[in-house]
Amino acid sequence: VKRRRRSGVSGIVDAPLETKSQQKARLDRIPSLVPDRLQTYDASADNVGRFLRLLGQRINRHLAVSMTACVHCGMCAESCHYFLARPDDPTMTPVYKADQIRRIFKKHLDWTGRVVPWWVHARAPQDDEDLNRLKNIVFGACSACRRCTLNCPMGVDTALLVRFTRGLLTELGIVPEGVFNVSRDQWETGNQMAVTEEDFLETLQWMKDELQAELATSEVDIPVDKVGCTILYTINPREVKFDPRSIANAAKVFFVAGEKWTLPKWGWDQTNFGLFSGDDNLGAYVARNVYEAAERLRAVRIVISECGHGYRSTRWEGYNWADYEQKIPTESVVVTLKRYLQEGRIKVDPSRNTVPVTFHDSCNIARSGDLVEEPRWVLQRVVQDFREMHPNRRENFCCTGGGGLLSMAEYRPLRLEVAKIKAEQLKATGAKLVCTMCHNCIDGLTDVIKHYNLDMRVVQVLDLVSNALVIPEILSGTEKRPRQEAAEMNGPPLDSREKHATKVGG
Amino acid sequence: MSKLLRVLENEVQIAALLFMAVVYAFRLVWIFKFKPLRERTSPAGSPTAGISYSMLNVAMPWAMESTRKKPGFYAQFVIFHLGVAAAIAATFIIPYAPGLFKVKAVGRLFQVIIGAACLVGVLRFVRRLTNPVLRLISTADDYLSLALMILFFAAGVLAVPNNSKTAEWTLILFFGLTAFFLIYVPFSKICHYLYYPFTRYFLGRTLGHRGALPPGRKSESPCPPGIREGGKPQ
Repeated sequence: VKRRRRSGVSGIVDAPLETKSQQKARLDRIPSLVPDRLQTYDASADNVGRFLRLLGQRINRHLAVSMTACVHCGMCAESCHYFLARPDDPTMTPVYKADQIRRIFKKHLDWTGRVVPWWVHARAPQDDEDLNRLKNIVFGACSACRRCTLNCPMGVDTALLVRFTRGLLTELGIVPEGVFNVSRDQWETGNQMAVTEEDFLETLQWMKDELQAELATSEVDIPVDKVGCTILYTINPREVKFDPRSIANAAKVFFVAGEKWTLPKWGWDQTNFGLFSGDDNLGAYVARNVYEAAERLRAVRIVISECGHGYRSTRWEGYNWADYEQKIPTESVVVTLKRYLQEGRIKVDPSRNTVPVTFHDSCNIARSGDLVEEPRWVLQRVVQDFREMHPNRRENFCCTGGGGLLSMAEYRPLRLEVAKIKAEQLKATGAKLVCTMCHNCIDGLTDVIKHYNLDMRVVQVLDLVSNALVIPEILSGTEKRPRQEAAEMNGPPLDSREKHATKVGG
Repeated sequence: MSKLLRVLENEVQIAALLFMAVVYAFRLVWIFKFKPLRERTSPAGSPTAGISYSMLNVAMPWAMESTRKKPGFYAQFVIFHLGVAAAIAATFIIPYAPGLFKVKAVGRLFQVIIGAACLVGVLRFVRRLTNPVLRLISTADDYLSLALMILFFAAGVLAVPNNSKTAEWTLILFFGLTAFFLIYVPFSKICHYLYYPFTRYFLGRTLGHRGALPPGRKSESPCPPGIREGGKPQ
């Protein structure tokens, strides 16, 4: 796909389609390159024709009415952090971005658009360059945070339209390289960071050794593939690669709570790049791995570690993608923590977390999920100085790394430019720690903090709970105070996180 | 009353109304041809509560940041749509219950509402022409629909006195526009009211099922003793 000239003011990144990774995958003949799995770009194919056919085949009722119902009132504009950061650029509004797929729908499927296309701006893509431009809009200028959806008077679900369009383009291989690479890894290895089984088990052993030393007991364990446990704990590959202490923190809490739990050897990755790429097949494959692991190990409950898109994918979308009737309760670890605190299974001492903390709501959890008060309930018990950020809960702004944007290097400058909205929001809290229950948000926020020189660091709920956790004497011989300062709480040093930030889709 | 006006008020309106109903019926069939989604997850909230909240969203300006921060724009929306309702009502009152507009206060009330809506329509037209965001996305249909609404409201203000002896042209204009609208609306953006229940239903059902709507669901337990809201010790 060649570059085409741009007209007018537009923040839409004019990134060409890079296919080196796709070519390499074809040369390597990787097993996932089969129909209904990983797709690559074929310049000689009738991609526009395929795009239109797929559009007709895949669209559902919810999407169809979102395509037709927009009245072009423009009320969504100021809900979008892209437009707020670039108020003079009308191409940054959700309605403009959604119109780019809407006009294709109108030309292809709607009456008026088919008969008098010029009357309603209906237009089908002419060539692969048009499809590439669409790629740059739906992947590069929208984090699919759903803020505009909740601010649309008509209830038009623009984020859903964006994901749908991403899915059609993914089917043609017209995707950013980062999206292709992560999807490939998840298809090939069952986890999005291509963590091998050996690495996985070694990391768990390492964390187990650390934990046993810290608690001075050999009873603490990180079990794998244990049958008949109450909890099947699923994690983000980022935890194995860059933040293994979050696994240790969970293990410590489970140990103190006397929980019967296990990680599965296969099906442990609760993240799901299918949510970002719009590929329902990938979404179904990854989610099914988790559900089948829970059934295989006869777990009573699936618990998802702190991850925004992982929670949304595993708790909500995955069952539908996989056409898999939910049989096992599925919850976030924050809900588990809340239950432990309510039942008195763990005790915490908030005086161990004295630094001012604010909370960042992950879009996928707050707007597309159900957890808004639960993390606050827990935080209010484990920290001394909790400060709300404004706006918050379902009106919070995206960390700017959502929608898989952290994996798409070509859109990074725009992402960081529009992150000024988030930076201002963070700064206004005066907090020194920003807590979030999402690994993707950790990297997104860390980028924002670094880029805008904010005096803050990012932690997760489990970090703060673990720090405040009171270890009963009966478990360790003497009451332990695990880790003293919040400075230690954030897993590996920030530098190491930033180094890997572009790889992560948490 | 001339024969033209009588036919326009009655037969033409009924024919146009039937045409609209038939097109809407086809439109509904078209919507239902798209495949529905099946929910496989166990609920965390109530789809019914979500749907109700979502449907009533239009009457809750505090519910969305976009309307909360722009009360003036919301007021315009209310006035504009009250004007639409009043003008449509007038198309039935004039031929079938003309006595109602003989009560001066009723006629004046309708004129004020429709007139205010006309003014809002003009403001919206100016906004559409001058706001770069709206200019970029606006289609010929957007402009024509709004222009026609302004004209329809203006004709409505003049037609409400229902004076066929001295100002019959106002009634002819009003009913002529009404007939045109009934035929044009199903193909224009004005038929958004047909889609509103669908978009709102799907959004409300999805997010209601997940417990995301209605918002403000509180955690079951209050703050523990010794900690006040905000987390600071008492």
